[in-house]
Amino acid sequence: MILAKALTGYTFRYISLFVAGLSAAVFLVLIFLYLIYSYNQFLEVNESITDEVDTMGLIYSGQGMPGLNQYIDDQTQRGFFNKYFYIVVDSDDQKISGNMEAWPNYREFAQDWVNFEFDIQIGSHVDYIARTRSLDNGYRVMAARHIEEVYENASLVLRILFRSMVATIFFGFFGAIIASIVAERRLETVNAEIQSIVTGDLSQRIDVGDSRGDMRRLILHFNSMLDRIQSLMLGVQNVSDNIAHDLRTPLTRMRNHLTQLRDQFDGDSQDKIQELIEESDGLLATFAALLRIAQLEAGNRRSQFEKVDFTKLVDDVVELYEPLAQEKAIQVLLEVEKDLSVVGDRDLLFQMMANLFDNAVKYTDNQGLIELNLKSVTGGGIELRLADNGSGIPAADRENVFQRFFRLESSRSKYPGNGLGLSLVQAVLSAHQGHIELSDNHPGLIAKVRLP
Amino acid sequence: MRLLLIEDDQSVADFISRGLRENGFQVNHVDDGQEGQLVASRGGYDVLVVDRMLPNVDGLSIIRSLRDAGDQTPVLILSALGEVDDRVKGLRAGGDDYLVKPFSFVELQARIEAMLRRQEMSSNSPETQLQVGDLVMDLLTQQVCRAGDVLNLQPREYKLLEYLMKNAGQVVTRSMLLENVWGYHFDPQTNVIDVHISRLRQKLDKGFEKSLLKTVRGEGYTLDDSC
Repeated sequence: MILAKALTGYTFRYISLFVAGLSAAVFLVLIFLYLIYSYNQFLEVNESITDEVDTMGLIYSGQGMPGLNQYIDDQTQRGFFNKYFYIVVDSDDQKISGNMEAWPNYREFAQDWVNFEFDIQIGSHVDYIARTRSLDNGYRVMAARHIEEVYENASLVLRILFRSMVATIFFGFFGAIIASIVAERRLETVNAEIQSIVTGDLSQRIDVGDSRGDMRRLILHFNSMLDRIQSLMLGVQNVSDNIAHDLRTPLTRMRNHLTQLRDQFDGDSQDKIQELIEESDGLLATFAALLRIAQLEAGNRRSQFEKVDFTKLVDDVVELYEPLAQEKAIQVLLEVEKDLSVVGDRDLLFQMMANLFDNAVKYTDNQGLIELNLKSVTGGGIELRLADNGSGIPAADRENVFQRFFRLESSRSKYPGNGLGLSLVQAVLSAHQGHIELSDNHPGLIAKVRLP
Repeated sequence: MRLLLIEDDQSVADFISRGLRENGFQVNHVDDGQEGQLVASRGGYDVLVVDRMLPNVDGLSIIRSLRDAGDQTPVLILSALGEVDDRVKGLRAGGDDYLVKPFSFVELQARIEAMLRRQEMSSNSPETQLQVGDLVMDLLTQQVCRAGDVLNLQPREYKLLEYLMKNAGQVVTRSMLLENVWGYHFDPQTNVIDVHISRLRQKLDKGFEKSLLKTVRGEGYTLDDSC
């Protein structure tokens, strides 16, 4: 799924990190804006009330109480447009005029600030801020204003800021997903090509197509890397193949001469020559195996493949090798599903199974146990599990054993072998698009083979 | 025995010719594909040994044209290529056996003898009984007796013995046994065949003074009545 891949990709991670950082920065900026706005609002309200109280003071000193009453009446008549509440009281706190019921109780702040709760609407408390001024003769005036308005403006600003914050995060992540999907698509096609090249034909190259910039450079570099790998591989392959190929002929000639020589001797000398013949047979077998692996790795052989009765093949391998197990009193437990078949080369598959089974017998001690399970896999293909309780392979060497000529130090002197058996197994499996997995049987080895 | 060898590699040809002549074959050597095809089509040979890669006409084409003309002379294909595919292709083209170079002379000789024996058997009326000394195998009842005593053989042991008896008196190599008795062409890596042979020998020769199943050191086995 492309989305899942995009979400785990590097592009998404980087952009997400960027969006998170950006959001934090935006958050700080917004908080700062909000504080400035709120402060200015209060400042504005403060100034307007101060102006109003000053105005009332001026009117009173100019026109006396009637003028002030007239002004308050005029202001309160404006109805909706009037932002202020007024009250004028005498020295006994008796109301003279204004649109407030009575002189409220208030807390006095520095600089004459008044903030009081006034029950102007039934059932709801409304906050006001106000300023008072003492006039002559003990009169006092008060101008008040809803603080609600300020709060509302401030919260409106806060909401807007919050929403832009959410929008930043949302669009940021949305953009991150889009960008990573686009990047992932580009990478995905290149990845698929690399995959098919690495698992299949190394002579193929990635199509540069219309990619630009870093992607183009990456593809070009990868292609030149493939060139290098291929030439190195060809070099190694050629050398080992040529050695094997060229040495086989003189070796066979030597072997034939030895055979003729052997027949001219008898007794001890004949035994000695026989040993030499067996040595050269071993060498020839090693070269043959090496060439076989090389040929398997080099070519595509699917054209020669046919349907192979794998159940019968496994039975035949066991039947052939069981006497070896019996000689060591090894018990062989078979659990083989009937009529399983694979598409492949039966001789190669037999060779693969023979090598595995032979190894199991070879590395299992006397009175040991070998279990062989063969079953079909849901979704196609077969799975073979070959478990022994022999000496096993240390975890660190489980990959190495597939390398040519690799042998465990512990088995080098103890068991015969050329170190090519498992290389051949893997080469056969690769040619059949199968694979093998080795694991621990505590003690011993489990080899799991999958074939399509 | 008249044998036609079509092989362009002079050293291999010399090696084969010399060995076969020492063993009583009349060897005629041709080193060109076209000429080889001509000589082979004239007939008169008991067995052909044909290299796969030849100048002008390749080995497989020669075999194919012989088979198309109804010539069933046994053909052993020699090849420098070790590919398993090539073996299948060679046998499909009508070859009777396939040997990858380099090979030991004993292997070549054993395979030629086996081919000739097979040819001889199929041209005669089908045999119902094989006999080597006092060992008798009834191919119909699948019963094996030695000196009148019935031997109790497993199916594979029976097939192994059958192949050995059909090639009695001749060397049978390990790879020939694997190919013909087990039906797979592969490298067993161990002496697994020897174990099967020694089991068979237990049943066959135990209690008898004369051992019929002998090991030919380094090469294979032979079943015969001689001492």
